[in-house]
Amino acid sequence: MFRRRTVTTLSAAAIILAALSVPEVTANAATTTFTPVADTYVDNSATGTNYGTSAQLGIDNSPVKRMFLRFTVSGVSGTVSSVKLRVHTDNVSGAESGSGGSFRAMSNTTWSETGTTWNNQPAIDGATLGSIGAVTANAWYEIDVTSYVKGNGTYSIGVTSASTDGADFDSRESGGSTAPQLVVTTGTTTPPPTGDVLVGAGDIADSGSGDSATAALLDDIPGTVFTLGDNVYTNGTASEFANYYAPTWGRHKSRTRPVPGNHDYNTSGASGYYGYFGSSAGDPAKGYYSYNIGANWHVIVLNSNCSAVSCASGSAQVNWLRSDLAANPRPCTVAMWHHPRYTSGANHAPTTSVAPFVQALYDANADLILTGHNHQYERFAPINPSNQLDTARGIRHFVVGSGGAGHYGFGTILPNSEARNSDTFGVLKLTLGAGSYTWQFVPQAGKSYADSGTTNCH
Amino acid sequence: MSSLSRRARLLVTVLAAILLAGFATGYALLGRERPAPAASAQVSGPALMVLTNGRLSTVAATDPGGPREVTEVACDRVYAAAATVACLEPVGALSATRLVVMDERLRERKTVPLTGFPNRLRVSASGRMVSWTLFLDGHSYATTGFATRSGVLDLRSGRLVNSLEDFAITRDGLPYRNVDVNYWGVTFTSDDNRFYATLSTGGHRYLVEGDLAARTVRTLRDNVECPSLSPDGTRIAYKSAVDGDPAKGWRLSVLDLASGRSTPTAETRSVDDQPAWLDGRTVAYALQSSDGTNDTWSVPADGTGAPHLLVPGANSPSPPRH
Repeated sequence: MFRRRTVTTLSAAAIILAALSVPEVTANAATTTFTPVADTYVDNSATGTNYGTSAQLGIDNSPVKRMFLRFTVSGVSGTVSSVKLRVHTDNVSGAESGSGGSFRAMSNTTWSETGTTWNNQPAIDGATLGSIGAVTANAWYEIDVTSYVKGNGTYSIGVTSASTDGADFDSRESGGSTAPQLVVTTGTTTPPPTGDVLVGAGDIADSGSGDSATAALLDDIPGTVFTLGDNVYTNGTASEFANYYAPTWGRHKSRTRPVPGNHDYNTSGASGYYGYFGSSAGDPAKGYYSYNIGANWHVIVLNSNCSAVSCASGSAQVNWLRSDLAANPRPCTVAMWHHPRYTSGANHAPTTSVAPFVQALYDANADLILTGHNHQYERFAPINPSNQLDTARGIRHFVVGSGGAGHYGFGTILPNSEARNSDTFGVLKLTLGAGSYTWQFVPQAGKSYADSGTTNCH
Repeated sequence: MSSLSRRARLLVTVLAAILLAGFATGYALLGRERPAPAASAQVSGPALMVLTNGRLSTVAATDPGGPREVTEVACDRVYAAAATVACLEPVGALSATRLVVMDERLRERKTVPLTGFPNRLRVSASGRMVSWTLFLDGHSYATTGFATRSGVLDLRSGRLVNSLEDFAITRDGLPYRNVDVNYWGVTFTSDDNRFYATLSTGGHRYLVEGDLAARTVRTLRDNVECPSLSPDGTRIAYKSAVDGDPAKGWRLSVLDLASGRSTPTAETRSVDDQPAWLDGRTVAYALQSSDGTNDTWSVPADGTGAPHLLVPGANSPSPPRH
């Protein structure tokens, strides 16, 4: 289905690249090369057409073609000293052009490779990274993107051309050796993040073994433990807490601040939940409470079982939340409850009844929202209450329903969903810095799924 | 409760604004009509319909991995045959799902409000009959304690069967009744009256043959889920629970109805889908990666060959249509 290139293409390309690139060498320097996780182009002469599987990427001004590249940088430690984007022109007549295009950063890093068309294309809205002049066919070209790619994370780059003579590049589907590359060079190693640790997950304890696997992770991670509801299955009874939760996550009960879920409320008034956790769970009539960690972090636990405790605007809970936020002088705030406002999970649709929580937190410049309910892991970009990317004030939402209950699949992937996994039990470890947080998904033993990063508080 | 799609709600909002502004024209023009996809030279000739992250899309049958037309029509499951396109709309925060039946230009012809989570969808080869399966409780065939409901719509007569659970059952030759009965994965024969489906009861998941006019089903065989009848009506592609235990996953297999012989396909990964016959020799199905990405694969129906990535980033395939 995909076109393959010849070996002669590779060697010719390597020679040009060697002549073109003089790597910066620093002490402990390491170079890692990434290929795109997605690339495609759009064409205004076929506005509903997607070219995500094409071996070629086009830019042009007549018809207008724009290309989009997305890279995920991971596993890089140390200070990033240099990042180069390399693109290779197609080995066909017509690939050459008087302009190799203008390259810009993009804020949208979640566009779909197989769904993006001219009609729904993401905005090319970031800083200009550079441009390439005249290009010939079958050659490598390079753009310095060090100003944009600062470390681990996902990066989108959009390319446009002002020339009516289009250029064609090889895509990641072209066969590998001539796919676009992001070459990351790192210098000295950075120390691991420092700060207090907040660690946990939701959807935890049942008759299976997932809860044991995640409890074993907690054994090696200090700090405050959170849950995100559905602490036990199926009915939140005292015996389920005694039989399933106590022998696993119960080992860390004394440092746990829990969240109630719908299964906990299958027992009237969630009496099994409040009976087990006692004063750590707050007032049994409310289920919402807050506490501080260190000098910089405020933690808010809310009750999203809205038929038991109202979540509506003007309710006692939302009024308390707004007062609690107003009285909190700390620079960083994390809030958590069970039902996700946004989720791509197939089993539970996004929950609108918690929208008043999200709005109050956004109004108060909170930083993080943690939820569960769908049995999987999902991380969103910083978003506003309408799930629009908001790099200034947006709140990063997590679904961490990976605590041990059987996995769920995904449905339609929502905009701004940056990371997902549906086959790994694990916990989310947050390292709470003075003005930032570092997240790390810690997988069960024997699994490799990883997701980590750092974001500054607002 | 509103069952309007987000797009339709936006249209209604825009409409209200237009009306308030005094330009009160064209109400009838702004119903739930969907825009027809722009004609394109990219996808011509026979086309496969799929979903690309929940958007109705088409790819050329001759180049299914090539350019694709992506529409704004949102579905959790789609299926197309002859001149009929059927779509189960996503369950929204404030809206239930619906069956939306469209013509080949994606103009809405009929809707049926439904309850549950969309799961399977099938249109008979003639385009006359539509059947759907929704999860009522639970969301996975691999667990216990889930419940499904399957219904049928006859587009010619307008007759609606809300649930096959009202049909009379003959199990192993004897009348049978049980409150635990669930149906899923209907597939129609060429007479648009007989059908095959999965009937779950008492821990068994039977292949049943049904008769819509007579409102009856009879069991044929155990451990057959999500049947899909071949174009010539002689074979059934289906998912077969490994060791009879859905918790262990499913092997995509093909049953020869005359001989009763079942052949596993070369696809060894667990397939939880109702397969679709692309032609008399090939079946297509979707697999989901752990990051939620769906891919549509195809494999020969006779157990030979190897799985082939047919449409990257897509699920819910339908056979090629002209």
